[in-house]
Amino acid sequence: MRKIGHIAAREFAATVMTRGFIVGLLLMPALITVFAIAGPRIFSQRSFRAAGQIAVIDPTGVVAGELRATLDPVAIAARREKDARQALAQVPEGVREVAQPSAGSLETTLGQIPDLHVVERPSGADIQQEKEWLRQERPNADRHLALAVIHPDAVTPAGDGAAYGTYDLFLTANLDDRIDNVIQQNLRIALVAARARAQNLDRDRIDALTRVERARSVVVTKDAERPTSGPLSRALPFAFTFIVFFGVMMGGQTLMTSTIEEKSSRVAEVLLSAVSPFELMAGKILGQMGASLVAMALYVVMGVALLVSFALFGLVDVRLLLYLVIFFVIAFLVIGSLMAAIGAAVNEMKEAQSLMGPIMIMLVAPLMLQVPISQNPNSTFSTVMSFIPPVNSFTMLIRMASSAPPPIWQVWLSIAVGVASVFGAVWFAAQVFRIGLLMYGKPPDLATLIRWVRAA
Amino acid sequence: MDAAVSLKGVTKRFGSTMAVQHLDLLVPRGGLYGVIGPNGAGKTTSIRMIMSILFPDSGELTVLGHKSALEAKDRIGYLPEERGLYRKMRVGAFLTYIGRLKGVADADLSARVPRSLERVGLAGTERKRCEELSKGMQQKVQFLAAIIHEPDLLILDEPFSGLDPVSTRQLRELILAEHSRGATILFSTHVMLHAEEICDHVVMIHRGQKVLDQPVAAIRSQYDPRAVRFEPFEPGADVSPLRALAEVERIDRADRGYEILLKEGTDPASVIRRIAMAIAPARIELARPRLEDVFIRIVSGESGSVETESKLRADLREAGEGAVAV
Repeated sequence: MRKIGHIAAREFAATVMTRGFIVGLLLMPALITVFAIAGPRIFSQRSFRAAGQIAVIDPTGVVAGELRATLDPVAIAARREKDARQALAQVPEGVREVAQPSAGSLETTLGQIPDLHVVERPSGADIQQEKEWLRQERPNADRHLALAVIHPDAVTPAGDGAAYGTYDLFLTANLDDRIDNVIQQNLRIALVAARARAQNLDRDRIDALTRVERARSVVVTKDAERPTSGPLSRALPFAFTFIVFFGVMMGGQTLMTSTIEEKSSRVAEVLLSAVSPFELMAGKILGQMGASLVAMALYVVMGVALLVSFALFGLVDVRLLLYLVIFFVIAFLVIGSLMAAIGAAVNEMKEAQSLMGPIMIMLVAPLMLQVPISQNPNSTFSTVMSFIPPVNSFTMLIRMASSAPPPIWQVWLSIAVGVASVFGAVWFAAQVFRIGLLMYGKPPDLATLIRWVRAA
Repeated sequence: MDAAVSLKGVTKRFGSTMAVQHLDLLVPRGGLYGVIGPNGAGKTTSIRMIMSILFPDSGELTVLGHKSALEAKDRIGYLPEERGLYRKMRVGAFLTYIGRLKGVADADLSARVPRSLERVGLAGTERKRCEELSKGMQQKVQFLAAIIHEPDLLILDEPFSGLDPVSTRQLRELILAEHSRGATILFSTHVMLHAEEICDHVVMIHRGQKVLDQPVAAIRSQYDPRAVRFEPFEPGADVSPLRALAEVERIDRADRGYEILLKEGTDPASVIRRIAMAIAPARIELARPRLEDVFIRIVSGESGSVETESKLRADLREAGEGAVAV
């Protein structure tokens, strides 16, 4: 045990003290920070502005006027603010506080307020001829953007029970899709307003009548009540899967690389004169798992800090973090020991690729399964997957982090299956490790590995 | 009961290859044993079985009184044929790490590591990374790693391979120093000269079987070639007067001189005197049995093998080029 400790300590130090580990560890938070700061600037719509002229052929005689009123910059600004307020009402309080809409933030996400002018054409104008207007080159502010032809029955239906007519829209060449959107949005608003006025209805009143605010649902538990976590409960399973995936993947890879290095640099036999192959493997796996746990702890702490800062932490069950560690350890020991075995069996990194295939499938499968599992955490499929190693760890975490967690007996049964799979994987790996570490020459295939295990 | 290593009827096969066959070996405590033989003879396999890195298919084995070296690992020092270092690790940290794995207390290591580095002329390299050292220096560090815990039994597999003459001499001195400290030493080599210079007992292995197991002194007397090597002072001098000497059986040309084979029961000292009086010598010496010759004599004679002498010598030379050993 003492020797395993020494090996684990060296493996841990050799991994954690490298520049690569520290850079890799900080890279992710650094990227997120850079993205959070630079993202809004990079993807800012602030520089976008729909500006130019829209020609309208309006046989109804009312839509052009409504469109002009709709495109009034003051009206647009008012509408934008109202929409933003309604959207914000749906997000949790903590986020709402930091995301108060301002003219600046709205311009960042929606672009500058459009500067669009309506040019009314005679209602009986020849459309083919009017299209020529679109072909005329003009400087930016006076650019001829679009020709809207309003149908005669767009405001008042042609007969009883007939549907409302609409409009045709012709655009100039090379027009930004976003300008097309802005024009159509405003045409819709103008048409609805014109139709309401034709019926002597108050537009604001219609809005009021049709709007029902969505409630923030509250979960009533045995001893407390808490608001539903909403988007958080959808994001959490993904976050957990990724943390475990990256922890196992990075740790397993490093473990494999360091084993190959020890074998190819011939340190392995020196070590085997002091410790047994099992002690060497166990120490390496534990040391590497320690390094992965450090990385994982850092990310979890950052995640928790983020949740606390948005006052969202109360929505997460703290026990989940404990299960995260348990399932991570199970997944790491299974995958890690198999990767250590591969490292011992081959002579160099490129030989490991063919043996890595099955392991990569085991690792990537949960990533592909997380959508069906998180959408339907208690389906037969999800339940069965919770007991099939090595995907059981991932599946159970996804289910537990979902809004409808499984019964506790399933969790413990999954842990029991996981522990059994750890014993199986470590036993298999130990046999391969013992034989492979001193075996040079032709790299073994999967069948050879199984033969080694049988012979051991 | 004072055997450091004992093997009885040990056999090991790899698939259809018989690596070691019914090997008996007894290394007494305090002995300095050399296991010699060409590549593929089964030396490394035998050593790995002694180290419990491999396990015999049949036969019995004890190491320092234990059934397995695993039970006595901390008392054994081992320098494998294929040996390495952690390239990025610092020299001091590497030796400390190996020392810890061998059960040496940290307090002892803090004094022992710099002292042993100083002993091999590597003082001040403690903080250097292993990759910064020259190959010869790395080999010294590897040897130190094998003796950092002052083992009772030191097993060295081809310790001299890849060493330059100066390093070879230094290593030989270090091995002898360990022996005078009281350690039992068992080492393998394909360079028979090294065994001749160091060992007090030689075990020869050929194709997994032991063909000789004797003290060096006994080998010398048993395989005495009864020959005198002679180089005349004047090159090309007529050596026919020597043929007239009663003690001389045959004269063969050898290298730049002659090998004079003596009749049985002749006193070599008197013949040397008489030869020197007959023709002025540039060099005259008694031919000593060389282990390589002994090996070839045994293998091509006693085992009934059909291998020719030149083929065997070629094998030994090939082994010298460091091909992978079994």
